Amino acid sequence: MEAASIAAPARRPLDPVVQFLQQYGLIILLAAMPLYYGIHDLAADGSLTRLGNNLVAGVSSGAIWALIALGYTLVYGIIELINFAHGEIFMIGSFTAFELWSITFGLTPESAVAAIVGGLLVTLILTMITTGVLNVMIERVAYRPLRNAPKLAPLITAVGFSFILQNVGLLWQGSSQRSIPDLIDSGAAFLTIGGVEIERKDVLAVAVTVPLVLLLTTFIARSRLGKAMRATAQDPEAARLMGINVNTTISLTFLLGGLLAGAAGLIYALYQTNLWYFQGFQAGLIAFTAAVMGGIGNLRGAVLGGFIIGIISELATNRIGNDWVPVVVFSYLILIMVFRPRGLIGEETREAG
Amino acid sequence: MEASEAVDRPPAGDGPQDDILVADSVSKIFGGLVAVDDVSFVVPRHSIVSIIGPNGAGKTTFFNMLTGLYRPNTGAIAFNGQDITRVRPDKIMAQGLARTFQNIRLFGTMSAVENVQVALHSRTKAGVFRSMVRTPGVIREERESREKAHAVLKYVGLRESVFEDMSRNLSYGDQRRLEVARALVSDPSLLLLDEPTAGMNPQESAQLTDFMQQVREERSLTILLIEHDMKVVMGVSERITVLDHGEKIAEGSPQEVRENERVVEAYLGKQS
Amino acid sequence: MTVEAPPRGPTPQSGVGGVVESWRRLRRMRYFGLIAGALTIGLAALIPVTAFGSTSKELDVAIYAVTYVMFALGLNIVVGFAGLLDLGYVAFYATGAYTVGWFASDHFSAVNGGQAVNFGAETFLTQGIHLNFLLIVLIAMVISAIAGAIIGFPTLRLRGDYIAIVTLAFGEIATVLARNGADIKIGEYALTGGPTAIAPIDQLKLPFLTAFDSATDIRPYYLVGLGMAVIMLLVSFALRESRLGRAWIAIREDEVAAASMGVPTVRTKLLSYATGAAMGGAAGAFLGFYVPAIGANQFQFFFSILILSMVILGGLGSIWGVVAGAISLAVIDRYLLRETLKPVPEKLGLDFSTTEIQFGVYGFLLVIMMVLRPEGLFPERRRKVEMTQGEGTDETVFEASA
Repeated sequence: MEAASIAAPARRPLDPVVQFLQQYGLIILLAAMPLYYGIHDLAADGSLTRLGNNLVAGVSSGAIWALIALGYTLVYGIIELINFAHGEIFMIGSFTAFELWSITFGLTPESAVAAIVGGLLVTLILTMITTGVLNVMIERVAYRPLRNAPKLAPLITAVGFSFILQNVGLLWQGSSQRSIPDLIDSGAAFLTIGGVEIERKDVLAVAVTVPLVLLLTTFIARSRLGKAMRATAQDPEAARLMGINVNTTISLTFLLGGLLAGAAGLIYALYQTNLWYFQGFQAGLIAFTAAVMGGIGNLRGAVLGGFIIGIISELATNRIGNDWVPVVVFSYLILIMVFRPRGLIGEETREAG
Repeated sequence: MEASEAVDRPPAGDGPQDDILVADSVSKIFGGLVAVDDVSFVVPRHSIVSIIGPNGAGKTTFFNMLTGLYRPNTGAIAFNGQDITRVRPDKIMAQGLARTFQNIRLFGTMSAVENVQVALHSRTKAGVFRSMVRTPGVIREERESREKAHAVLKYVGLRESVFEDMSRNLSYGDQRRLEVARALVSDPSLLLLDEPTAGMNPQESAQLTDFMQQVREERSLTILLIEHDMKVVMGVSERITVLDHGEKIAEGSPQEVRENERVVEAYLGKQS
Repeated sequence: MTVEAPPRGPTPQSGVGGVVESWRRLRRMRYFGLIAGALTIGLAALIPVTAFGSTSKELDVAIYAVTYVMFALGLNIVVGFAGLLDLGYVAFYATGAYTVGWFASDHFSAVNGGQAVNFGAETFLTQGIHLNFLLIVLIAMVISAIAGAIIGFPTLRLRGDYIAIVTLAFGEIATVLARNGADIKIGEYALTGGPTAIAPIDQLKLPFLTAFDSATDIRPYYLVGLGMAVIMLLVSFALRESRLGRAWIAIREDEVAAASMGVPTVRTKLLSYATGAAMGGAAGAFLGFYVPAIGANQFQFFFSILILSMVILGGLGSIWGVVAGAISLAVIDRYLLRETLKPVPEKLGLDFSTTEIQFGVYGFLLVIMMVLRPEGLFPERRRKVEMTQGEGTDETVFEASA
């Protein structure tokens, strides 16, 4: 029996346009902001210095977002759940760091350089441990018991924890934003290239983030535990059958995410010289946008997304106004979700929808 | 607010040569995997046709393309003469193509009656505003939909005492019956059954076979099956198409297919 | 209703068993639901109005209770019926309240050459647009429904947690717009007053009645709020037992199967967002009249979680459960935390105020509920099964058709 041939459906004239938009639309939207302001600057006073400063600040603040985004992406990669409380872990990290360096170690902007550096290193380690352990605890209490419940349940539990932690922050440092002493004179210029200032805080952010990210990626790529993580992320059942302890692996993932969030918290406290119990909520959403932009589940994507979001939010802060940053960033988030949920370098995996 | 989705269907059959479903060079590729490879396929009106093949041959993927759940990478599909290649599943269903699932996909916490009523969505039109105030028209439509649901549930042999039970609490056999009832209630012209006898004993399979033929006669249906049970396939099909690794490797009457070397190889090869 | 299995053993006639058995028999009587409902509503109308003082704190809590019931019923349609986790519900409180801010105040002061435009309202202000309460509620519902559809649109292809994040992001955008609205100008009118409240707001006035006066008597406000809540209650029941309600529940259970059964998922989901939003907008409008000042600080993410807590506490999808959850949390939030328990921390020697631990209390509540009783306090039977046995799939139709 022959198949009667049917006229092939007419290719709608807009198809190639839609395809092009899906491939490159996001990149165009992202590049639009720096390009626009670059052209605007050149037209206004012929100098790209301001843009350069924006980009530098963007990259360094992006480092903070990258660290937090990595936490989101690691967890999502392994249990397909968004850790709603992750932003609050970051906030607790900031608070803990400040508490440690200012009260426990009594560091002030007048302390000796060696004391500051040494003290901060110890603070970093202690903070990271605290937040790492906190994240693991949350997994044990909120996520593990509900692993077989409908996805709604752990989500809501995480929101609950996020609130509890916010309250802890509120009781700890008060309900309004609190300025803290600038321990390292973060705004001081470290280096100036072609009129563009690279400040101490920029160096700090990059100097802490880069080694941590390298350590993390090496750990995941080379170590046995790292392999276990990747295997569990791909196929938990198969991993279990191969003898991998899935529970421990998941806890380890949360630990790593928590460690990074703690580091981000410390950098943030030194960088912004400002603490607020609500900072985790906003940071969480922004970092999540970064993770999704890069491609959820993808480590390199999280880092890339972090830097991109850093640049965008820095441009928004500097050019439009601090108040509007959330609107700009969240609009990008929504656009990504609609047009390219798999992000810039994510694969079309079963998750991102 | 919502107009009825029912599309006017062309009159049933212009004659014995009319094909209700035509698939032309259809392929589906997932990432690097070619699940369905350039398959062309027709279903003559009022026939009972089967698709068979070893596990992983691409049969359910093919079904999913017919019902609009997957979009084919190449090729086109026409139902009752109308192109449905990229049409949404709910629209295809409204045009008269109904299906059951391989793994039963009932709405577990809804009752049997409610499950069937959902399948009447495209045949009813109570919109949000009229539903809120429960106009006489809405009340009447609800009553009629319940009556239709009851009727088709009886038709497939479900006992009335379980009509209001949560469907996940029904016996396996009853759940299968409910799946078929859901597919029948909207008065489709083509019924797709994905492994309807899975988990059934020979007695139940024979009952289902008779039922298929009965339904085909009484409701002027065309039936397309995916099946593994060879007895059922050979017994009820007028024509069989064989898929293996996504390709069509044979097609013809039960007799022809049974004797086809490639088919035997495909199955035996898997059984070694 | 399912026929209950006969009780095991001899039917108890006394004690707790006897009470339970009597209750069960009562429930099976015809029209039980109708009579019980009418009785409850009658009592709800009479008791607060007669027992509490005309401007008492207790009555204030009662008004918040019925308002929260309205919000919770609206969110229940999105989260409970259709299963779409909307974490940005505060946006509809904002749209509803600002409709009041625009059309029941002197916000649009330059309109009509500086003369007030009055349409069924009673006001002492000489400028601005002043519309009747019912008209404003209608407008609020329309605006909110449109906003709901806009917010829902990007989530259509997404699964659970992503829907949560996107709706949360929209909620945040709404709060930022409220906060900075004083700087957003269309012509010469600002969108909002920012943190500075738009005030004064006209008193609520129903057609053919004189305007209320919340300074001397808030009982009429309570009755109007109760009336609105009852209407939304009836609407919720009507929708749940309707074609649309079944479509929503089908989508919640198994979106792919629902689409294969002929349910148009896009349209149905958008309808759930829009309907839930409209109810939230109406509630927001009512609250806007009652708390006669519309300031951006009223609209925070916390509100979305507050309403969500009510729905979860009561039991997702269970209409009466949600009502109970709303009333409970109204009492906890507006009465216990602010009044009754206020002296406690000091007595315990702790240095914080009860209002400061709101977040923690709600967070704790959510965690406890999910761990101990995820189906809620008064679940409908299907949710109990769903939440305890992990029914249903998470797959969206669009994943399949990539």
